[in-house]
Amino acid sequence: MKLEEVAISGLTKHFGKIVAVDHMELSIPAGTIFGLLGPNGAGKSTTTRLLSTLLRPTEGTAVVSGHDILEEPVRVREITGVLPEESNHTVYPTLTAYENLEYIARLYDVSEAEIPERIEELLKFMELWDRKDDKAGELSTGNRQRLALCRAILHRPKVLLLDEPTSALDPIAAKRVRELILSLSQQYKQTFFINSHNLPEVQRVCDRIAIIDKGKILLQGKTQELRTKLLAKQEFRIRIVGDIEKASSIAQSMNFVEGVKPEVDSILVTIENPTENNSSLMQALLSDGIRIVEFAEEEATLEDLYLEVVKGGAE
Amino acid sequence: MMVFRKSMIVARTDLKMALKVTYVKYGLVAVAAIGPIMILAIVGMIAFTSPPGAASAILQLMSPIISPMLGMVSIIPASLIAANALVGEREQNTLEPLLCTPLTDRELLIGKVMSSFIPSMALLLGSLLATEIGTILILAIAGHPMILIPDANGLFLLLTAGPLMILAMNSIMILISGRVSRVYEAYQTSGATVMVFILPMLLPMMSLETGGMIDPNAILFANILTILIAVILFTVTWVLAFSRFNRDRMVSLV
Repeated sequence: MKLEEVAISGLTKHFGKIVAVDHMELSIPAGTIFGLLGPNGAGKSTTTRLLSTLLRPTEGTAVVSGHDILEEPVRVREITGVLPEESNHTVYPTLTAYENLEYIARLYDVSEAEIPERIEELLKFMELWDRKDDKAGELSTGNRQRLALCRAILHRPKVLLLDEPTSALDPIAAKRVRELILSLSQQYKQTFFINSHNLPEVQRVCDRIAIIDKGKILLQGKTQELRTKLLAKQEFRIRIVGDIEKASSIAQSMNFVEGVKPEVDSILVTIENPTENNSSLMQALLSDGIRIVEFAEEEATLEDLYLEVVKGGAE
Repeated sequence: MMVFRKSMIVARTDLKMALKVTYVKYGLVAVAAIGPIMILAIVGMIAFTSPPGAASAILQLMSPIISPMLGMVSIIPASLIAANALVGEREQNTLEPLLCTPLTDRELLIGKVMSSFIPSMALLLGSLLATEIGTILILAIAGHPMILIPDANGLFLLLTAGPLMILAMNSIMILISGRVSRVYEAYQTSGATVMVFILPMLLPMMSLETGGMIDPNAILFANILTILIAVILFTVTWVLAFSRFNRDRMVSLV
């Protein structure tokens, strides 16, 4: 059994009358890549700020790698790396990329002998080495975000708190960041706590997720398990050549079809007892002259789960 | 020593960043130059218009009145740099990453105080040196006997009460800087606050008698009183800055 790296119990934060985080209970095993999902204003960034000791909880507490955020805030800050929200704006614009990292490395007590080596390694990995002497304010948005990410991982923290880590990155840079997260997790067994709106990204990277809305955790668990458990719908995508409307009406006329969603080149059909009924539907379509290109089970995505849970929570 | 080491890292980096901005660098020198220019103008006027022997005597009598000017002028840049310390970090969005580092409240506060104290002291010492050298040169050119402006009493006051007053000013401005949400609010507050710290530097004027002569006994009394006020202000503001420092409030401010 893995040890808990982050244990949150009864964590609550009020801003006046607003309850940003409401009695949150979470436990994240060491080495996990954890994703916190939720709509705007759900309490994701406040949770990260509480865990990084920037904010003091109104109630409850959290323990990060054995250190309580209320009792040992300095120790918690030593072992965490933080990528704040809109991190591309959080680098010192008048310092060079190299100086930005050098400053933070010294504050984290990285030895003077190691600083140049670590900075070079990270800047090269992030493809920023050629820009090391440029002022951070002169870098592009994506490059500033990469620099902020270098800053968060420079001191090799045990726990990384990343708030929208790829929000300002192009697809190639975002892919590199995802690769970096996976590689750090495998190489150094670091624990990641990621806030994100980017559901496909979370699905690709995170092995555990929680969905938060109005400060409350609505759902948590292993990503794969949640997807299969909660979205065990028998939905099939039938890609066709021909009249989509006609295909939809044929499918709707079958009594075992629970729902039909027409799309550009296919229809999404929810079928009751598909093992027995799939062939009947296929035959009905073929006999009416519809050419079937593909008939495949539709894999449930995190987006479906997210929409279902957040919508359900709202209702 | 550990506290001081990390604080000095913060102070050094802040200074490096400030000095990379040309208008800040030359702006500070220009403000600090006001004191020596004013004093040397007075010295020059007296030296070149007074008969031999009289200039030194007049300047000696004026020293307790004009010397505090150097202290007052060096408090102004100190207040401006300190006002920018935390709210400036917030405005450029670097406050959160800084607060996420393992810096303790004490290390961060001392670092921020030092980042405004060091340039202010450098400006004070630089303006003192420039004034002393300038005075000697002017008097030598005009053919008068050499005296020091500021004199020994003035130097004692500026090198004791001066640093304490700058530290007190910085502490209170950094406290304010952590409690306002915009840099201009901090600057507006610094304008009013700076008066509280400038006024005690005018106390040596107490030594001026109604007849326009200087009472030497009053100089010592005024200097001691100024230093005492500086010590009290420094202690109160330092305690206030440490006890009222609140990360949660700083981060929560929009």
